[in-house]
Amino acid sequence: MWNKVELSIVVLVLIGIIVSSSTMYYTTTVMSNLSTLTSDVSTLTENVLNLTSSVRDLATITRVLAEAMGAFNETLADLEARLAAIEASLAAKAKETLIVGTTDAVENTLDPAQAYDYFGWCIMQQISGTLVSVTPGSISGTDFQPELATSWNASTDGKIWDFTLRQNVRFPDGTELNATHVKYSFDRSIALIPSTPDGAPANLYYDQIINRTEVLSKYKVRFFLNNAYGPMLGIISCRASAIVDPTYAPWMTQVNYTADHARSSTPLAFVGPYYLSKWERVGDRDIEIRLDENPYYWNATSGYPKTKTIIFRFYRDASTLRLAVEAGDIDMAFRHISALDVLSLQTNTNVKVWIGPGAPMFFMCFQEDHAPFNDSRVRMALAAAINRTAVVTTLFPGLANATYSMIPPGMLAHGDAFKELGDANLTLTTSLLAQLGYSSTNKLKFDLWYESSGHYQLSAEQAALYKAQFEASGVMEVTLKPADWPSYRTNRNNGIMDVFVYGWYPDYFDPDDYAFLYWASWLNLHYDVWSPTAYAQQIALYDQARYTTNTTLRIQLYNQIEDIAADQCSIVPLFVTKLWAVTKPKVSGLVLDITQDMRYWLIYIAG
Amino acid sequence: MGLRVYIITRTLLTIPTLLLLLTMVFLVMRVLPGDPVDLHFERKGTPEQIAQMRQILGLDKPIWNQYVDYLWGIVDIGYLLQHGYPNLGKSMQVTSQDVGRQIFSVFPATLELAIYSMIIASVIGILLGTVSSKSYNSLLDHVIRGFGTVTYAIPVFFLGILFQLIFGVYLHWLPVSLRINPNVEFPAHVTGLFTIDSILEGNIVKLFESLKTLLLPSLTLGIILSGIFIRLTRMNMLETLRLDFITAARARGLRESTVTYGYALRNAFLPILTMMGLQFAMLLGGAVLTETTFEWPGLGSYIVGRINYRDYTAIQGAVVMFGLFVTLVSLVVDILYAYFDPRIRL
Repeated sequence: MWNKVELSIVVLVLIGIIVSSSTMYYTTTVMSNLSTLTSDVSTLTENVLNLTSSVRDLATITRVLAEAMGAFNETLADLEARLAAIEASLAAKAKETLIVGTTDAVENTLDPAQAYDYFGWCIMQQISGTLVSVTPGSISGTDFQPELATSWNASTDGKIWDFTLRQNVRFPDGTELNATHVKYSFDRSIALIPSTPDGAPANLYYDQIINRTEVLSKYKVRFFLNNAYGPMLGIISCRASAIVDPTYAPWMTQVNYTADHARSSTPLAFVGPYYLSKWERVGDRDIEIRLDENPYYWNATSGYPKTKTIIFRFYRDASTLRLAVEAGDIDMAFRHISALDVLSLQTNTNVKVWIGPGAPMFFMCFQEDHAPFNDSRVRMALAAAINRTAVVTTLFPGLANATYSMIPPGMLAHGDAFKELGDANLTLTTSLLAQLGYSSTNKLKFDLWYESSGHYQLSAEQAALYKAQFEASGVMEVTLKPADWPSYRTNRNNGIMDVFVYGWYPDYFDPDDYAFLYWASWLNLHYDVWSPTAYAQQIALYDQARYTTNTTLRIQLYNQIEDIAADQCSIVPLFVTKLWAVTKPKVSGLVLDITQDMRYWLIYIAG
Repeated sequence: MGLRVYIITRTLLTIPTLLLLLTMVFLVMRVLPGDPVDLHFERKGTPEQIAQMRQILGLDKPIWNQYVDYLWGIVDIGYLLQHGYPNLGKSMQVTSQDVGRQIFSVFPATLELAIYSMIIASVIGILLGTVSSKSYNSLLDHVIRGFGTVTYAIPVFFLGILFQLIFGVYLHWLPVSLRINPNVEFPAHVTGLFTIDSILEGNIVKLFESLKTLLLPSLTLGIILSGIFIRLTRMNMLETLRLDFITAARARGLRESTVTYGYALRNAFLPILTMMGLQFAMLLGGAVLTETTFEWPGLGSYIVGRINYRDYTAIQGAVVMFGLFVTLVSLVVDILYAYFDPRIRL
């Protein structure tokens, strides 16, 4: 019985122990959990507090950021406004400024007593003035309008010319132009001729034409000529007759007007629509030329110049010049986008192509000091081998005309003297050369030079065609030799080139300015040395023609000169090109006429 | 050897190098067969013309006199300080003009183009080269290698014309040629570098316009040059990344970017630096094709013009200046090399 009681008590105790232990364990666990929970709650509270603080910080940051963004937006808006202002100022400036791209360059000077190159004359035309000028758009190039002179008249024998000057024309220093300035300009050019033998006044024979000048009154000047001279107004209108400012054109000193010579930092100004405000040049390369509106220009009241500033940018390569005008970097490309490019640009709506008449003459020259070119049969053989039509149709389709006369088509006394030699007349070529012993086994070998710096268009392509035409005879072997323009000119002066192509941009529009090319001393072909009889005959005929006003007689005389030239073939006329320019569509006012002049003061950018 | 001693020694060693260079240029131009004056006249000049030109250029003097005059012209500090350029003789074309003046007029344009092209080439080349090495044999690696090969092989004038057509003619975004928008005046000449001069003038418009004009030629040249740097960087990085110290660096738990740029690229950089120096020196001699394509009026265009004219004195002057640039840049590179790698000084 006890045992059962004891056992029951033990069991109850054990149960009690287990229950109490469990209860204690449970209580402890609960308490522990409670403690953890309290700790967690405390951590949570802390975290919540931190979070609140963070949220507060975040709010502060957001506010600061918003403020910063506001400031940034303001700065951005300010920057945008500034950029817009810059763009607007550039756009406004662009309308006042015409940017012209060219492959041309000034040869070396802008002194009228020396300069004798197309681009030099072009710049001089913008900054200087002549007594008369050719009327823009003239078809013949012989319609003259008043410029610095308001009227003029010639004596009945044509030996005395009086010019009445425009009043109130002022040089930039305020000095009024008067008759002494005109006399000074011509006297100076003539006095400088011995020291500038390759200058324009020397080559236009100012010293032979003009006997003396005389000041009749403040506004009246008289020219005494040695003989009656038909193209008198022609030479008076050309750049060599520009009236100079004695300040910038000292007596007996030829100046080049680059920044480091005579001009210093002072802008060069005569009495033209513009003054030369900048001319940057390295070696033979022009970097930039800038012309600014001349506030003293006598015709400013009529609204000229229409564009305040002209900036010339210089390119070596015609294809880059084309890209520049297509890309809109420049407003106008003038001399020389290639003729083939011009044709393709005519369909481009982003540019405007301008084509006008022209009178630049291209011809082939033979250096007679280099045997066998001292023999007229050799020269004639080469002349007969040339195929002008092929050159014109291949390289200048619609932009040039073949010519068989040194006097351009449409001008007084234009003829066809060289036509008798034919085009690609290889029978004549081979027979003439055979007389001198040349054959397919003993070929005539020579250098054919061409200008390679863009002064003449497609020169390399022309040279390649001429080479092919010569070599098609089977009795010639041609080596092509390139030279940039300054070298070409120097080589010409030094008589280095066997055979070369040369171009002529007229000074004035009269056969007088073309016929002399057959023996032009500056070509240095030594024609007078090797063909003295023909030379003497031609000179006599030429002098007769230039000092008579009888048109019929003049035509006869020039035709005789050309007949002799075709027998001698000292130089051979090839073709005459038109003139063209490519501009942005908004550019207007270009006048392309036979004078080849680009009158920049007439050009403007519309809208 | 300390760095200072190394610099002094290296600089002194430059003097005989320069003397040798100048002498060789002199000999090539005067002593070897082919008289420059005769060639200038295409062997068809008259004796009077040749004699006159010889006298103007001082070629009528005995050869030793010419040599002394020539060397003295280059080292004549007085002349340099007075004119701002060394005496390199007179041009054969315009005999009144100093060759030194002509060269120093066009040199800043070349220097500016060279600097920006090198920056572009280095950034593109080194970055892509590194990325390529890190992605060895992956598609990205092949693409970058292909890019490097194409840019190395593509003719500069072709890429230049392509850029001109795309960004200039079609998009009208950038000018296709010359140095600055014609509507904007050139910045006042201080250094001759338009971007720097614009900053010095404080003119943001000029800076913006000169950078716009500079972008196409420098991008063209930079991309072309980047090909070399991509290949060189990739090759050197691949070699370096295999070395033990890179494994050790990775084992230390360093971040991969630290290992790549802080450890590997730094060690692979020395040959790249040498190439950068050489390329930069070459660029200073005038990037002829780039300058011609973009009508950039620098030394390259100048030299082409002078060669066309057969202006031997100008060519001689340009060669001398080119030699001086190469020597100078080599000196700077060697000093940098020594600075980065102390073993060179041992």
